[in-house]
Amino acid sequence: MTSAPASTPPADLVLSARDISRRFGYRRVLNTVSLELYRGQVLLLVGANGAGKTTLLRVLAGLLRPSQGTVTHSAAVGLVAHDAMLYDALSAYENLAFFQRLHGGKDPARIRALLDQVGLADRADDRVGTFSRGMVQRVAIARALLAEPTLLLLDEPLTGLDERTTRIVLDVLTGLRDAGTAMMVVSHQPTDFLGVATHIARISKGGLTVPEPFTTASTTAPLTYDGA
Amino acid sequence: MPSVSRAALAIAGKDIAIEWRTKTAIISGLVFAILVLAILYFSRDPTAVSDLDIAPGTLWVTFTFAAMLGLNRAFLLERERRAMDGLLLTPAPRSAIFWGKFLGNLVFVGTIEAVSLPLFVLFYNVPVWNRLPQLILVIAMATIAFVAVGTLLSAMVVRTRHAELMLPLLLLPFLVPPLVGGVQLTASLLNNRPLSEVWGWLKLIGAFDIAFVTVAALLFEVILDE
Amino acid sequence: MLSLVLLAGIYVRALVFTPIEATQGAAQKIFYLHVPAAICTELAFGICGLVSIAYLWLKDRRMDMFASSSAEVGVAFGTIILTTGPIWGKPIWGTWWSWDARLTSTLFLFLLFVGYMVLRGVVTDPDLRARFSAVIGIMGLVLIPFIHLTVYLFRTLHPMPIVLKPSAPSLPAVMLVTLLLSFGVFVLLYVGFVMQRYALAILRDVRDEEAANAA
Repeated sequence: MTSAPASTPPADLVLSARDISRRFGYRRVLNTVSLELYRGQVLLLVGANGAGKTTLLRVLAGLLRPSQGTVTHSAAVGLVAHDAMLYDALSAYENLAFFQRLHGGKDPARIRALLDQVGLADRADDRVGTFSRGMVQRVAIARALLAEPTLLLLDEPLTGLDERTTRIVLDVLTGLRDAGTAMMVVSHQPTDFLGVATHIARISKGGLTVPEPFTTASTTAPLTYDGA
Repeated sequence: MPSVSRAALAIAGKDIAIEWRTKTAIISGLVFAILVLAILYFSRDPTAVSDLDIAPGTLWVTFTFAAMLGLNRAFLLERERRAMDGLLLTPAPRSAIFWGKFLGNLVFVGTIEAVSLPLFVLFYNVPVWNRLPQLILVIAMATIAFVAVGTLLSAMVVRTRHAELMLPLLLLPFLVPPLVGGVQLTASLLNNRPLSEVWGWLKLIGAFDIAFVTVAALLFEVILDE
Repeated sequence: MLSLVLLAGIYVRALVFTPIEATQGAAQKIFYLHVPAAICTELAFGICGLVSIAYLWLKDRRMDMFASSSAEVGVAFGTIILTTGPIWGKPIWGTWWSWDARLTSTLFLFLLFVGYMVLRGVVTDPDLRARFSAVIGIMGLVLIPFIHLTVYLFRTLHPMPIVLKPSAPSLPAVMLVTLLLSFGVFVLLYVGFVMQRYALAILRDVRDEEAANAA
């Protein structure tokens, strides 16, 4: 996954993070994390609570500035976080339309297409406040896809979802992967992502292991969680 | 990437749309303003002091309290489901968030003022009609001052405990110049004194507006989490 | 070492003070203390604002500590002025409070910086606390001239007895000297207290950092 350094980045390189460190007050949460992601790769990120997974995702998304290090994206990034980042009083369509305006565009057809892709075409005009957790999560995914990101970051996307919604989400992610979107998924249940994820890496005490290919063997070997 | 004005208008529009749909804050603000006006009017001693003397102070106290109630609302909205992060993830310029919230707050506070003013005239029976444009100008200028500082401060305190206490605590010292100016100007207008007499106050509020709108806009991005 | 300087300062003031008082009425005595103290209070807040700008520019944590030390000293001075003022004033002027220009400005700025300290107490993350404080500090700095203007305009419109200002149209040299000396002493006091407070803040910071890294 980490290729030999080239003078110009290969066309497939979607994300390049070098020596990312991040402190909160006096605490060091991330410690010289380096990472590269290419088109179509789905990296599963595991680790104990508090190891730095969410922080890493937020740094990669651009919400947090790293205390040290650089992050380079080839194109747009989408984030699906713990919180949906939506407005309850607005409908699914209105939420997407608003965020689309902030991306600089106005494309109703695309909004409809996205809602269709996540299976919410029939609830487009209902207020998000009336949605179940599964539906909210799907709108959040649609919102993350608005800018046609080449990199999608997901923080425990399947938490609290029922079986049907889980299937829908995994299908969407598989489809995106096959179309070339790179993804990074934080999850406490790596087995959920068999057949979807291509690689797996672990964060422990702010450090990141070198990603390895994700196979059934990766999930049967015990994942030891040393105290983070 | 959208321009600052487009993004700001989108944000302000979204806030207004949400407020229009839920109506809780605006109704609470209006009822509160009416209550304050009525209570202050009712509890005065009509024999001790003329209506015209206490009217300006009452009006501005009402505006101030109602404004403070409404200011926290704008950023509280962004905390449910961490919508603020959603705003920060878009390529929209961060200053647009300030301007959008500023505009939204102006509309909110302005609406409360627009309803309170006629009621004020009704209660106090003050001669306002021949000086209405000037009065509206004064109110508008002072409101800009309130809202500029209030928008910045509410963005800060919304993440602290006791936000409802912290905002008035921090905001009120900043309101002294525009508030005192507003009262003096209103008193002068209601007594039909020429504006030239209180020109100094108008300049004070104007300078305050320019200074603090600029400073608030510049400092806003410092507050956003990084 | 610092405290010796302070003590010397207080002694000097006391010595110079007493021979002068014989020539004035008792009432005038107050403002030798209060006017310089009030000016120093505002100076403390103003410096807080300036250092806050430096903090945002350079992102050096120590500047935040300096700014907050300055604000704390300002609040301490302000508390003393605003409480002793009325206590002294009541028997002499017959009123607890007067909207004197100097007192009024001090009051509002004092209240703002009390808010500054409260805010610092409420925000736990040191980085966020520093940034929030810097914002208030800078806004406070910009506010200072406006408060003065407001009070000035108000008084020209509604003239009121001047209580805390030397009332003589031209200040006799003797009074001026005392005033300046007193001001000098207060500046010394300010510097001394701020340095001590700042040193304490640095020590605390080092200790907190070590504790966090050990964990």
